[in-house]
Amino acid sequence: MLLAFSLLVVVTSGQEPTDAQEGLDREKHFTLVVLPIMQRRCFACHGKNPDELKGELDVSSIEGILKGGESGSPGIERGNSGHSLIMEAIRWDGLEMPPKENDRLTQAEIDAVGKWIDEGAVWPDLEKQNLILKKNAEGGNFSGKVMVTSGGLSKAWDNRRYNPAEVWAFEPIVKPDVPDGKLAYSSEIDSFVNSKIANANLEPTEIAAPAVLLRRAYYDLLGLPPSIEETDAFVSAYSKDPNGAWSELIDKLLASPHYGERWGQHWLDVVRYADTSGFSNDFERSNAWRYRDYVIRAFNEDLPYDQFIVQQIAGDELAKDKNSSSNSAPKVTLSEGLVSTGFLRMGPWEHTAMTPEKVSRQIYLDDLTNAVGETFLSTPLKCCKCHDHKFDPIPTRDYYRIYAAFATTQPAEMKSEFLDKESRNGFEEQKAHVQRLLAHATEKMNSLYAKREKAAKEWYKERGRESDYAPFDQRRKPTFLGEKPRRFIGLSIAEEGELKVREQDVRLWTRRMERFQPLAQSIYNGGDYLHSSLKLREPQNKYQLSKVKPIGKTQILDGGSVYAPSIEVTPGVLSAIGLNSGASSTSEDPFKLTDAVDGRRLGLARWIADSKNSLAVRSIVNRVWSLHFGKGIAGNPNNLGASGKAPTHPLLLDYLASEFIANGSSIKWLHKKIMKSNVYQRASSHPQFSKVENADPNNQLLTYFNPRRLTAEELRDTMLVLSGEINLAVGGLSIRPEMNLEVALSPRMIQFSLAPGYQPDSTPSQRNRRSVYIQRIRGLSDPLMEVFDKPNSSESCEMRDSASVTPQVFTLLNSDVVTKRSIAMALRLQGEDKSVERQIERGYLRSLGRVPSAAMVQKLAAHYKKMVDYHRKHPPERESFPTEITRRVVEEFSGDPFEYQERLDIYEDYSPDKQASDVEVETRALADVCLLFLNSNEFMFVY
Amino acid sequence: MNGFKSEIDRRSFMYGLGASLGSVALTGMMGSEVTASGTRATEDIAKQAHHPAKAKSVIMLFMEGAPSHIETFDPKPKLNELHLKNFVSENERFSGMTRGNRFYVGSPYKFRKVGNSGLEMCEHFTHMAEAEVADELCVYRGCKAESVNHPAALFHMNTGSRFGGDPAIGAWVNYGLGSVNENLPGYVVMTELAAPQGGSGNWSSGFLPSKYQATRLRSSGSPILDLNPPKWKTRDHQRMNLDLLSEINLESVKNHPQHRELESRMDNYELAFRMQMEVPDLVDLSRESEQTLDMYGLNQESTAEFGRKCLMARRLVEKGVRFVQIFSGGWDSHDFIERAHKKRIQSVDQPIAALIKDLKSRGMLEDTLIVWTGEFGRTPDNTIRGGQTAIGRDHNAQAMNMFFAGGGVKKGTVVGATDEIGGEAVEVVHPIRDVHCTMLDLLGLDDNKLTYFHGGRYKQLSQFGGEVIKEIIA
Repeated sequence: MLLAFSLLVVVTSGQEPTDAQEGLDREKHFTLVVLPIMQRRCFACHGKNPDELKGELDVSSIEGILKGGESGSPGIERGNSGHSLIMEAIRWDGLEMPPKENDRLTQAEIDAVGKWIDEGAVWPDLEKQNLILKKNAEGGNFSGKVMVTSGGLSKAWDNRRYNPAEVWAFEPIVKPDVPDGKLAYSSEIDSFVNSKIANANLEPTEIAAPAVLLRRAYYDLLGLPPSIEETDAFVSAYSKDPNGAWSELIDKLLASPHYGERWGQHWLDVVRYADTSGFSNDFERSNAWRYRDYVIRAFNEDLPYDQFIVQQIAGDELAKDKNSSSNSAPKVTLSEGLVSTGFLRMGPWEHTAMTPEKVSRQIYLDDLTNAVGETFLSTPLKCCKCHDHKFDPIPTRDYYRIYAAFATTQPAEMKSEFLDKESRNGFEEQKAHVQRLLAHATEKMNSLYAKREKAAKEWYKERGRESDYAPFDQRRKPTFLGEKPRRFIGLSIAEEGELKVREQDVRLWTRRMERFQPLAQSIYNGGDYLHSSLKLREPQNKYQLSKVKPIGKTQILDGGSVYAPSIEVTPGVLSAIGLNSGASSTSEDPFKLTDAVDGRRLGLARWIADSKNSLAVRSIVNRVWSLHFGKGIAGNPNNLGASGKAPTHPLLLDYLASEFIANGSSIKWLHKKIMKSNVYQRASSHPQFSKVENADPNNQLLTYFNPRRLTAEELRDTMLVLSGEINLAVGGLSIRPEMNLEVALSPRMIQFSLAPGYQPDSTPSQRNRRSVYIQRIRGLSDPLMEVFDKPNSSESCEMRDSASVTPQVFTLLNSDVVTKRSIAMALRLQGEDKSVERQIERGYLRSLGRVPSAAMVQKLAAHYKKMVDYHRKHPPERESFPTEITRRVVEEFSGDPFEYQERLDIYEDYSPDKQASDVEVETRALADVCLLFLNSNEFMFVY
Repeated sequence: MNGFKSEIDRRSFMYGLGASLGSVALTGMMGSEVTASGTRATEDIAKQAHHPAKAKSVIMLFMEGAPSHIETFDPKPKLNELHLKNFVSENERFSGMTRGNRFYVGSPYKFRKVGNSGLEMCEHFTHMAEAEVADELCVYRGCKAESVNHPAALFHMNTGSRFGGDPAIGAWVNYGLGSVNENLPGYVVMTELAAPQGGSGNWSSGFLPSKYQATRLRSSGSPILDLNPPKWKTRDHQRMNLDLLSEINLESVKNHPQHRELESRMDNYELAFRMQMEVPDLVDLSRESEQTLDMYGLNQESTAEFGRKCLMARRLVEKGVRFVQIFSGGWDSHDFIERAHKKRIQSVDQPIAALIKDLKSRGMLEDTLIVWTGEFGRTPDNTIRGGQTAIGRDHNAQAMNMFFAGGGVKKGTVVGATDEIGGEAVEVVHPIRDVHCTMLDLLGLDDNKLTYFHGGRYKQLSQFGGEVIKEIIA
């Protein structure tokens, strides 16, 4: 596409082309069109460098091309593209060049090369080429858009022409006129959408039934199903005043504290929230939950989006900023600011002795740079880490300018007092649990130490050197001279292994005590000071401070290699939007940010949050839209660039973006605007479905509403609501529900050891809270959540997958977790009504959202009776929980396996959920029926 | 129970009517995938390869923790001369692991030439040293990894990316070739009891559709998680429930006739029901002959665990599983390598030899590619730890060895070389991505064409393209 535009060689109209003119056109065509194609697609393997030359073919000069490669035939025949080997290769016709799908020439590019050959394959000398390039940059006769940036690594990149349709997101937002017919619709959204539908000669479907709308709105805003009573009340209110009832419903749901849990989850998907660090140790980030709750609060309080941006990127600097009077945003305290900048700690990252410090540091900064682009600008930046962006107007220079904006940002656990609004429920109990396991590991470790030291003393005694004995920590130092006992003296090989396990356990549980301290996973500004990520703290004492590296200049890293620094850059912002960097902007460098230690992030954040930052505003509006409709106006909410899907309704997006700013960047305003449109309220079927399907197979025109599957969290939360077990408490320490026991206890390698087994919380009310609060362990996925497409938290997730795959069947039909929900559901129904038919009817209505037919109730009741007989004959076994497990590990010193005991203290005093063996046959039979509901299609989808 | 028999037959018939609505899909185990808009994605049974394949399936034997090339297939007599002498090297690219006081370490093992091909193997490979096995191997000494951090390097070798979460090679292969057996997964992983560092990130489908992710066959308990209902629910009970479920779901299909995903969702329930029969059969080794069990070492403790996995691998490949990956742990021998590596070598030697012989005798070796590798190699030197010299080796990304067998690779050959102390690969040097390209090539797949559009570009296993290591291919 890009080329199609730049290919148009415009000959001055009204003039017969002269020979000279024709010659110039051919030279222009070569210099501006053909040569860049060859540079981009061919030179890497067929360029000047003889070491890299593939197939002995050099196409970097006309001589080389005419000579040809190892086949011996010339690459082209001048004037005859039909007889040119190179054409066969680039058409992938016989030969296939370039060999990669990604690099393959577009048809327009192939045509351009063919035209060049047919016109005699002119190749002007370098001087001529430069002249043409210069003229072109001054606005020669070529179409396509020039994008001004801070400058690429090559002139050719700077001179690139862009197809306006691919750089749309970088352009300023101009509020478009609403298409005609506005008055006929309740919302401007309908005018935009319906005018396109009319153009396609189609019609939208009707408005969905009230019960369908109610369920849709509940799941969309709360991620929870409505109760039977709420359904009755809404259907009745709707029959009297549809618009009033709908509007009231939206207000009610937006005011619910559970709204923030649902929408916070979306944001947590984008930022890759997890409670652990990933990689070899998967250390707990004990206070990450404070950032999670911050996000939930921000949505509930409808924090204006621009402030949400600044608080996450630079909350700490904002709190310290003396000049914040220039900014009307309310002050945040340093404690709050440190919690909200938890955003900068969300990526998987660790530093251990296995990785050079420089490389660990680079990995952290690369991650932040890309994450900020992807999250707030919907522009992944990692594409331009090694080269200027291939499609978007983002030079590598800009990548390293943003990288530089984070160059003084250091990850650490920072002191941050708990806020009144933060829940500290369960602190005492969980602390006791951690202390128990810490004490257990310490005791085991100490007894092994004692054994070792006893043997060491013995060793010295045998040699008559009793006075040379020194404790292990002194003895092991290289400066401690003389012959010494071996490292693990007195311990068997199995004990050596166990000691390493216990030592690692002590480290883990000690770290976990941080859950209860006023700390935040956050950052501070300063020089590089890397140490093991077991404990990340701001350097305090003299020794630590002496280890801090001075703050250096940021340099572009050639090829992305930390060992190949080249051009120096100052901190700055993306240049292609043309929005200057505000206070630190200068006339020579409008995109510059401060290069002081402090303030770099605040400058960057304010630039992103600027209402004129077209990428950022379009990004959030498109995200909100995409979550309501299951797809964005622009189809890749994380990528609005040329390689993301083009917007289906660009004018609508810009209309909503301008109104969003005019309405105080309020996300709740945007929900309301969207949900009040007819487009959102449409039914999920269409009376002329085959016509619509032919004309618009992917429903891009939104003639009907796309049904969607429940997300993993919605599924689990809904089961808990139906069973009546849910505890809707908001916020606080992460929770641990029951997980498939095989997975929970299956050993998991971490450095030197095995991770402690997963133990659930000890009481049902702790366990059965909403899924957004589940502790997210990077190295251990809950199979229930994983199989229903909870993202893996290493990559940002713009939209959930929702395919139906067979392992979901095993989970829903056979798993212990779902079986227990069906039993609780049955118990609840039995408590509500004596009649089996009524129980079945209520269960069906609750789960599927509609009243069953009488025939279906009868069928289910008959099944129930049969199941009662069945269960009489098949009594269940009682499930028990282990309080200790034997671990078996291969000891690396010996290659032999060894065993040790791990204590599972939670099960020593555990309140289990009701299980099959606790309940009567009637309950088990009704649970069978409930299990069918939980497996049914209509339960699983939102229409 | 018998009382339900006739009832079941009637129900099955009824289900048959229901199922015909959605035409039980002949897709991979993961069922047919349905796109977000509800349209059915194209089926992917046995897709066309890009070029004629030399191998149909892969068995990847992963030695987790990084086996030492110097103690396995790459002898370095020079190190015995230098043994315990100071090792001096300063390089800013070295991590904390390879700095400090260091000394050379000679191998405690003897080497000898084995088979007719004269491949060099350490003395503890005795079964693999038999000519009929050794002469099948192609040892490759030219690979360079990048990271010396276990999880990053494991991710790299398994997914082509050091960061985890990208599609594993087994997922790519199934995406490219489709599955052969509709009732079994196309990609199976068997780990040690403990998952390796990085866990399921090593075998996930990444951005590919989730049906391509590996199914982890568990070494104890249920072979597939929740494959079977609780014990008090029998198969007949399950059948009755499924039949009624299909009736409930048929109503929903009537209510939402335009929502196509519902039908494939119903198909998945039937596929699951069939798998409940098929999978336990597959993992049941009782029908294997005593001689086979012996050959794989199932009757002795040191080899039983890995032997069982090797035998399972053969059975899976026989049933049409495309990609089987099995892990052997405990190879991270920083100290006491003599004892530790000996134990590890002995635990895999006989099972691997048996696997090769068994495949050969069944005529399956020629179209099964066997790959034996770790995540990186080990250093020619060691560091002083605890103030003492211990005989072991640290992590080394610059040199390693691996071997291939079967499926179109050269036999009884060594390709590539490391320097005289085994510190760095110096001949036929290739990065990990080229090993991946080579594996794909043998399967008839071209890495440059095996792409998936995600995040705005065509992604591929090698990330940015790589080369086939021609020297390995027969």
